[in-house]
Amino acid sequence: MIRFENVTKIFSRGTIPAVSNLNIEIPEGTICCMVGPSGCGKTTSMKMVNRLHSITEGKIYIDEVDNSTIDPISLRLDIGYVIQEIGLFPHMTIADNVATVLVEKKWPKQEIGKRVDELLELMGLEPKIYRQRRPSHLSGGQRQRVGVARAMAANPPIMLMDEPFGAVDHIARVRLQNEFLTLQEKISKTIIFVTHDIDEAIKMGDMIAVMREGKLVQYSTPEDLLSTPADEFVANLVGGNRSIKRLHLIRVSEILNRKVATVNMSDTLEAAKKHVIENAFNVVYVVSDTGVLNGFIGKVELKQEGEFVKDVYRSYPEIISDEATLSDALSVMLSNGESYVPVVDDFEHPLGAVSLEDVFKAVRQDD
Amino acid sequence: MGASRFEFRDVWEYITSNQDYLIRLMIQHAHLVFFAIVLGVVIGITLGFLSAYYKPVAAVVLPFAQIMMTVPSIALIGILLPFVGLGFNNGLVALTLYSLLPIIRNTYTGLNEISPSILEAARGMGLSERRILWRIKLPLVLPVVFAGIRTAIVMIVGIGAIASYVGAGGLGDLIFRGIARMRPVMILTGAIFISIIAIFLDIIMGWIERKLIARQT
Ligand SMILES: Nc1ncnc2c1ncn2[C@@H]1O[C@H](COP(=O)(O)OP(=O)(O)OP(=O)(O)O)[C@@H](O)[C@H]1O
Ligand SMILES: [Mg+2]
Repeated sequence: MIRFENVTKIFSRGTIPAVSNLNIEIPEGTICCMVGPSGCGKTTSMKMVNRLHSITEGKIYIDEVDNSTIDPISLRLDIGYVIQEIGLFPHMTIADNVATVLVEKKWPKQEIGKRVDELLELMGLEPKIYRQRRPSHLSGGQRQRVGVARAMAANPPIMLMDEPFGAVDHIARVRLQNEFLTLQEKISKTIIFVTHDIDEAIKMGDMIAVMREGKLVQYSTPEDLLSTPADEFVANLVGGNRSIKRLHLIRVSEILNRKVATVNMSDTLEAAKKHVIENAFNVVYVVSDTGVLNGFIGKVELKQEGEFVKDVYRSYPEIISDEATLSDALSVMLSNGESYVPVVDDFEHPLGAVSLEDVFKAVRQDD
Repeated sequence: MGASRFEFRDVWEYITSNQDYLIRLMIQHAHLVFFAIVLGVVIGITLGFLSAYYKPVAAVVLPFAQIMMTVPSIALIGILLPFVGLGFNNGLVALTLYSLLPIIRNTYTGLNEISPSILEAARGMGLSERRILWRIKLPLVLPVVFAGIRTAIVMIVGIGAIASYVGAGGLGDLIFRGIARMRPVMILTGAIFISIIAIFLDIIMGWIERKLIARQT
């Protein structure tokens, strides 16, 4: 648990406070998203937790201990820290980057190696390939993964994340967000997550702290923020289309109820035909021997020359995971001009499909 | 053979007939340059780090090193006379002073150019200042410092010729004697040997420098 008690930060005397009289409590195992315009004091608030900034007035308690009484080095070793610029060490390999805190904590070499591989795998980076690479040989998204892995290395109960997914494009960001939320379900860290993207805050936060000019304007759940913004500033920040914003709050897995039949690559078209006719979208999924979704057969494909499924099937331009939000699903459908999108699990085995109609229904129910 | 006309064949002849003498001068030269660069590296890196960590030190050290470079070498040797007298020591001190600027400057700018986000990440993860120095700053600044050392070496191999003026020996002897006796063959031989040493060291240092950079990226 992290608790800010009347925390004020003044950088130099006479200037207006960067943070003034901040009071928030972040319960164990939850994500608190801090949002607000540039310069509103998000980063400053966060850096007072691990004492990168001193506190001018007030106290920050970590599990009921006043953090100013904890030695800064040992405090920081137990708090995961992800900075916006990522800040990977360019002269170290990915493995050494991830191991930074473990080395400081004097873990035995063997265990460090094991833990590093575990973390790389967790972050979707094949250890064999990436262990010995340098940060300069990674894509932006991969670097952010390494940054998060490095912060999580010693399994700290608390994480401070300053725009951790800021430096990547929208698609990569959505993927990182979804993966991180899935991970958080397992690891239940207490997290301060800074972002200036209200959509990201709504999606990631158990609680959202909206800040403006150093002051806390509203501290509430994403649902409350959307339904009852505290004032005009918050309302503007949340923006119009609040029911569309609510799409960020609902995971595909929560509304998924459409099953789609599957056929194997080696099945005959005749076998596929029956399923296509019965299905609401007039399709049947085509899966590999291992059950991975390879594509589909629809009415058009049925008319083509060929005897077997593998002769005529087409692959999907995009599929989504059941961890994705309805907003993700909607944008995939719109960008591909489809009325549905296939949903798969972590192993890309098909789970079903979500349709435009499903999305509309979910929003209407929510109203 | 006239006093001012010669052919390259004469240089070759001079070299082959004075091998022992030339080798002795070369060893003297290398000796001088070696000790000067060792001192320069130790002092230069120390001052570079101190300058990067403490602003007041930088305010004194950086201009001092800069001015040092503008003092003509002959004048510097003269200035040093009352302090260190004639001979090897005078040459050593002069060459050391010349080697300082590139080393100090590269250390200092190298340290200042480390991206603040790298340092903030290190600090935020719980590395102490001392650990940051060892694990982050030193390895990151190493190739830059090395480039400074390389510049310094090439430079003082050349300037080292002047040291012969105060009796520190080295290949400068050939040049000064050549001038005194109006024998261009000697002057040319001295110049050629100095250039060869400089180029040779530059190539070796360049190779090591590339290895260092390659290890980091
Ligand atoms: N080290 C510092 N010294 C003086 N003023 C600072 C310092 N760091 C931040 N400030 C000031 O404090 C205020 C809050 O800055 P902060 O970095 O916390 O904003 P932020 O909400 O993180 O903004 P952004 O979204 O741009 O990152 C700003 O006015 C900033 O200029
Ligand atoms: Mg910030």
